[in-house]
Order: sequence, then C-alpha cells, then structure tokens
Amino acid sequence: MTTTMTHTAPTSGDTPKVGIIRHLNVFTAFALGIITALVVWRLALAFLPENAEAAVMATREDKIALLSMVGWFVGFMTGIGALVGPFRWLMGKDLSHEENMYLAGKDMGAKRYFRYTTDHKVVGIQYLIITMTIFGIGGILAMLIRANLGKAGGGWIHPQAYNSIVGTHGIIMIVGTIIMITGPFGNYIMPIMIGARDMAFPRLNALSFWLIVAAGVPLIWGQFLGGISTGWSAYNPLAGQAPLGMDGYIMFICIFALSTMVAGANITTTVVRMRAKGMTWNRTPIFIYGVVASVALALPAFPVFFLSQILSAMDRALGTSFYDTANGGSGWLYENLFWIMGHPEVYVILIPAVAALMEMAPVFTRHPLFSFNIAVMGIAGISGLSVLVWAHHMYISGWAPLLNAPFMLTTELISIPTGMLFLVLIGTMWRGRLWITVPTMSIFALLWNFMIGGITGIYLSDVPADAFLHGSMFVTAHFHYTLMGAGLTGALASLVYWFPKMTGRMLDERLSWISFWFVQIGFNVAFMGMFFVGLQGQPRRVEAYAAIFSRGNLLTSIGAAAIMTGMLVLLAAVIGSWRSGVKAPMNPWQAKSLEWTVPYPVPLENFETLPVVTEDVYGYGRKK
Amino acid sequence: MASTTTRYFAGPWWKRKDFQRTALLWLILTPIIGYFCSEIQVGAMGAPASEVMATTERLMRIFTWAASPVAAFVAAMAIVALLGKRHHGYTPPPDSEDVIETSPKSIAVWMVSSALLCLFALVVGMVALQKDNASLLDSKAIQVNVTGQQWVWNFAYPGDGGVRSQVLHLPVDQPVVFHVTSKDVKHSFWIVQMGIKIDANPGEFTETAVTPNKIGTFDIRCAELCGLLHAYMQNKVIVQSKKDYAAWLSRQPNSTVSTWTKPGAAA
Repeated sequence: MTTTMTHTAPTSGDTPKVGIIRHLNVFTAFALGIITALVVWRLALAFLPENAEAAVMATREDKIALLSMVGWFVGFMTGIGALVGPFRWLMGKDLSHEENMYLAGKDMGAKRYFRYTTDHKVVGIQYLIITMTIFGIGGILAMLIRANLGKAGGGWIHPQAYNSIVGTHGIIMIVGTIIMITGPFGNYIMPIMIGARDMAFPRLNALSFWLIVAAGVPLIWGQFLGGISTGWSAYNPLAGQAPLGMDGYIMFICIFALSTMVAGANITTTVVRMRAKGMTWNRTPIFIYGVVASVALALPAFPVFFLSQILSAMDRALGTSFYDTANGGSGWLYENLFWIMGHPEVYVILIPAVAALMEMAPVFTRHPLFSFNIAVMGIAGISGLSVLVWAHHMYISGWAPLLNAPFMLTTELISIPTGMLFLVLIGTMWRGRLWITVPTMSIFALLWNFMIGGITGIYLSDVPADAFLHGSMFVTAHFHYTLMGAGLTGALASLVYWFPKMTGRMLDERLSWISFWFVQIGFNVAFMGMFFVGLQGQPRRVEAYAAIFSRGNLLTSIGAAAIMTGMLVLLAAVIGSWRSGVKAPMNPWQAKSLEWTVPYPVPLENFETLPVVTEDVYGYGRKK
Repeated sequence: MASTTTRYFAGPWWKRKDFQRTALLWLILTPIIGYFCSEIQVGAMGAPASEVMATTERLMRIFTWAASPVAAFVAAMAIVALLGKRHHGYTPPPDSEDVIETSPKSIAVWMVSSALLCLFALVVGMVALQKDNASLLDSKAIQVNVTGQQWVWNFAYPGDGGVRSQVLHLPVDQPVVFHVTSKDVKHSFWIVQMGIKIDANPGEFTETAVTPNKIGTFDIRCAELCGLLHAYMQNKVIVQSKKDYAAWLSRQPNSTVSTWTKPGAAA
C-alpha cells in the first residue's frame, strides 16, 4: 500500500474490474451464514448416530449445535468475502490493485461500512458502533439484574434465566471493554497518530472486525438454547452440566479469541514497522504504547482462552474428560487455563484506558507529560507482571495452597508499576493549567475510581483477607471499579476527545457534561453499595439475598439507574452531534500529535506526503 | 518569562506555596481517609466469631491505614491541581509556566515508598497466612467432613461414630478442621462471621480450619455459582458450649460407618 503514491490511476471511464467482491456484503454474509447453518444442522440431524451410551449426557445435541454454529461461522465469513483474498492467493494471483482499492472502500460512500472494507478508518467506525451496541445490550442486562434484585428475597426472573443474564452481561461487557479503546481508537486514530497510511495488514483488520460480528450470533443463539447459566467464567464441571446455550458461549469465545489474535498481530506489527520517519520510541505517543501493550498482552492470553473452550467443547460433545474429575480430569485445569487468560485480560482492558488519559493529560493541562519514561516503564511493568498473577483467583480453590504466598507476592508487586501510572497523571497535572473539559475531569474521575479499585485489589491480593472476600459482592464491586470506573471512564473520555476527528463534529458539550456527572456519581453510588453488601457477606451471582443486604442493594439499584440515565444522555449526544453537531476545526484541542494534522474527512491513506517527526508531542511550556 | 521561572524555582522546594498546600492537605486527609474507610469497612464486616475473622478485620484495618497516605497524597495533589489555574472555553489556555517535566528525586521517593508498602503488605499477609496454615495441623482439633451438593451442605463427624447432620453444630473454643468436597459441581464453603472459605471440588478434599470463639448462630453461604439454586444454598452453623454440643451429639443416631477417609490415604 505504500507504493500508491506512484501508481497511475486506472484508465478513466471504465468501471474497474473487481469480480465477486462487488457482490459481497453484510447481507450476503448473513444469508450464507444462515443457509449454511441450516444445511449443516439438517445434515447433522440426519447422519449423526444416536447416543450410544445412556451415561453420556446429550452429546448428540451438543454435536449438532456446535456443528451448526461452525456452519454459521464458515458461511458468514465466506459471505462477507473474507476468503476471496486467500483463495485468489492460493490460485496463484493476488487481488488486483483495483480490487484492493475497492476493498478499501474508495469512493463508495456509506456502503463501505457494510462490507469487508479494509480502510482502517472504516474499521474504526465499525468497531465504535459495535462497542456501543455491546454496551447497550450489556447495560440492559445489567438493569435486568438490578430489577431482579430490587428487594430482598427472590426476584421475579426465573433463576435459570437470571443466571444466564448474569453470565451474558459478564461476558459481553468483558468483550465490549476489551475492544472499547483498541477497537475504535486503536483502529481509527492509531495509524494516523504514528503517521502511517493504513494498518500493516488491512485485510486482517477487516477480518478482526467481522469475526466479532460472526461471534455475536452464536452467543445470541445460545440464549435460545438454554442460556449461559454459569457466569461469564463458565467454570467446569458446571459448564459441562449446562444446557446447549453453553455451546453458544464456546463458539463465541473461540471466534472472539481469533479476532483478538488477528487484531493483536496486526496492531503490533503496524506500530513496530510503520511509524513515521523520525518517530523514535522516545517520540512515540504514550497512547500507542498503551494500545500495543494491550493487544500484545492479548497475544499470549487469548490462545489459552481459545484452548480452554475447545477442551470444554470436546468434553461436552465428544465425551472426553479434560475437566471431569470422575474420569481423570480436573476442574482446576479449567480454572488455570481460564485465569491464565483472565488476568492479563483485565490489563488488556485497563492499560489502553489509562494510556488514553495520559495522552490527553498534557493536551488539557498544557503541560508536558510528567516523566514519559516512567509511564512506559509502568505500562511495561504491568504487562510483564500481569502474566504471573493468575492464581490469585484461585487462592481458596484448594488447587495449590503452597503457591498462595508466591502469587500474593507477584500480585502485590503489580501495585508498583500501577503506582507509576498514578504518578505520571498527577505529575502532569501539577502546575498545569487545567482546561476544564470532560476529558480533564475524566482524569480526576479515573484517579478517584482507580485508586479505590486498586486499594481494594490489595485487600483481595492478601490470602487471609481473600478467604473472607472471595466470591462476594466485594469482588464484583472491585473489578467494576477497575474495568468500568477506570477503563470505561478512559474510553468515554477518548470518545469526547477523538469524536471531532472521527465524525468531523464536536460532541455536544452540555449533554456530555450531564452524562459525565450522571455516570460518575451513579457509578460510585452503585458500587459503594456493592462493596458494602460484599463486606456484609453477600455472595456474588445470587438471585436472592437476605434482608440485611437491602440497604446496600438499594443504593446499587439507584446508582445503576443514574448510570443508565447518563449513558442514554450520552447516546443522545452521540447521535445528535454525529448528525448535526457543531462542525469541528481540524485541531479543536490544539494538540500536537499527528492525527490532528489531517483534515476531516480523513482522506483514504491519510497523508499526501508522509510526515517526518522531529520531537515528541508533549512540548507544552517546555523551555527550549 | 525568565523572571517568573526564577521566582518559582528560587529558594528551597519546601517553601513553595503549592507544595505547602499539598503537604497540609495530605496531613489532614490521611487520618480522615484511614479512619473512615477502615471503620466503615470493619463495621460492615460485623462482629467476628473467630480469631481468623478478627485477624481478617485487623488486616483490613492495617491495609486501609497503610494505603491512606497514598490515597491522601494523590487526592491532595489532585485537589491542589483542580483549585489551581483553571480555564474555561473553546480555545486552549496558554501553555503552563514553570513546568516540571520530570523529577528523578520524587520518582525515586515514590517508587521506594510504594515498594516498601508492598513489602509491608506482603509480610503482614504472610504472617496471617502462616497462622491460618498452622491451625490445619492442630492435633487437638475435631474433624468435620463437609460435602456440598446442588444445593445443600451435609456435615459428618467421623470422629464421633460418623454422626451426620444437615446443620453444622460446633463446640465453642474448640479447633475444627473441615475436609470439604463436593458431589457434583464446584461449591465454596463460607462461614461468613468466622472468615473462612474454601472451595468444594468434586473428587478432591480441601481443608480449612477455624476455632469458633463465640456462642451463637452464624451463616454458611455458598460462594461459587453452582447452578439453579445457588442463592439458596445457605445454612446455619450453631456454636454451642461444650456441654450443649456433647448433649446434641449424644442425641444423634450414630451411624457406624464413617465416610471420612484421610485425604491422600485413599490413593
């Protein structure tokens, strides 16, 4: 793609020859996916043998469900056009230049958002929309949870459905928060920020997005097959017992893990290989470090998640016994695999959020980033340590009591690099001139929420204290403070900050302030209440609770309603501003990074001439 | 510009206004945060019914007090920054003056103190952990088998002719070791007011120990999602005087078969 500056335009007048790609879009994808799933389902129904042994539970149905979902997956990916490129390549000729430009969505208008479009800006917008959709669905599920926990005693939702709502809320919010920054902003902003024309592998970029769409369907499908009644962690042997909805979860995770691996390889390569001339590692914006740390951490984590679910699927459908104690397996194996993914994964979510706010802090304080090196060391330290702490989720599982002390050590060590990130943020604001905007206040909100999330994490890292707190609402409140209070706050600030570049319009200021305060106050009310009931002894994931927990749960419900209000206001602001907001200047925040040097709409391939970088982007008030 | 620079940086750093303001705020906020956060948390946890729980509450207090200077420091700096030069409007303010782009000394202080706090938390935790682990080996302890199954707890007293019960009775001031297992999926055995919790895994035994030190009725809750009626997998533990406990035990129909095998002995 870097040679496009010298290519000669195709002879005018002719429609470029683009073959089958022209005919493929999201509609053909859904059609082919559904047809393939139905065909596979019918074939499996006809040809799979009946369960031979009575002892084996329902494996035939699991086989049918899993095969149909694989059918959906293959059909969908074929229908969207993911296989055209590889197939051509296999036949000995790659896509023509015209076809590549067509794939990039050249002169196509709105249609390109519904296709296998490789332009990183289109992928970024697609990610933004799907992230918002995920948060919308996850939020509705959260409100259902709160509605069911309105008063002490049992709720009005059937326990099976309630458990499924809790599990689905958990897993899709995890997925939503994983992609909320590296998806929209990592794809749209990051390549411009490093002065690149596109991603290193544009087709993989489109692939990573459409894999998420493909993954979503089995999850929804699973809701009609009994749901995911196991919580988002899907512990075995409970998952082995769960209805067919579990197969939807398994397929969802496998496809999503593929997406994450593809995106991780792509983004890492892009940053390592495609930074502008002169953008040494010392001049690379800290947001880029955050994005790379996030996706690079996902690279070791998600293959393990993928594997854990493949084994789960084999246990369910093929009668293996990886996790079945009675036949030589172990539930602890699942827990280990799950948390080897699960703990790096929370930093996959957190690091880019903090990095995004570190990127904004100099802009809104007109002060250089305090100690860039410490910021990088903090991110690197967290990333390194985060792969060594997984078993702190298993202190009380009984798996290896002798390992509790070493894991307590690694877990508490992580507070040192985390502290560095705090130091960078407060150091940047020190003697800064605060430009009071939503991103600025988001920095304060992050400091507040992340401080609470971090300190409660230290309680949980301590084995004897964890023996009381584990599995209680305290844990739920703790990780909401980190992933939502810190993570989502960073993502919402990113939305306000980069909205002008992505849509050409400013995000409505009044509405975003209203939303900010509703969300932040509501959030703190909700999860303070949850900390409280956790300390009183309310277990997580319960659909009924004793009367002593009423007060805290009431607080949580009130707070949740405020969060919902704030989010709806934000949604209104996004839709309203996107359609008819105030037109944004090219550089509304007067920031120094490269994405503000390109006009809106950002031209295909971003830069006419590639920029050359001579200094870092934080030189506010710096003496020469 | 040069004059403002010198004015701010002239003289020792501890005489700068913003530093003094931050230090004062820090001194005020530290005890406030430490006191309220630890009291509210420990208050919510309730009166301990065992030494383990008392230790846990003490740990929560220690960690909160150890963390409060850090929280207060970040809060003080954030407040001073927020109350400093502010700017509203659609165009950015002029660049900051007298910026401090890095400060090796403060970074070093920050890192050394966070490392020391980390070490402190680790040592405190290890000491408590060691005590909990040692109690597993108490030779005077009575042994209780705990079996979780969807969605009830069953208790067996193998040392007393294999008495079985759906409600856990324990003598006060008597060390107990629980051998916990499950018949189906993972559960987690949690005696709330005694501060102990251990997972019940199918096909495995896990151990935890406690010495109840208060007579009364306390809560057992399952702390691991175990299916449909997880929320209702609750039970009571009745802690009695040794005499009452013996009386209760003697009223139980004895089962001659003990289900308890010492973990590991079976293999």
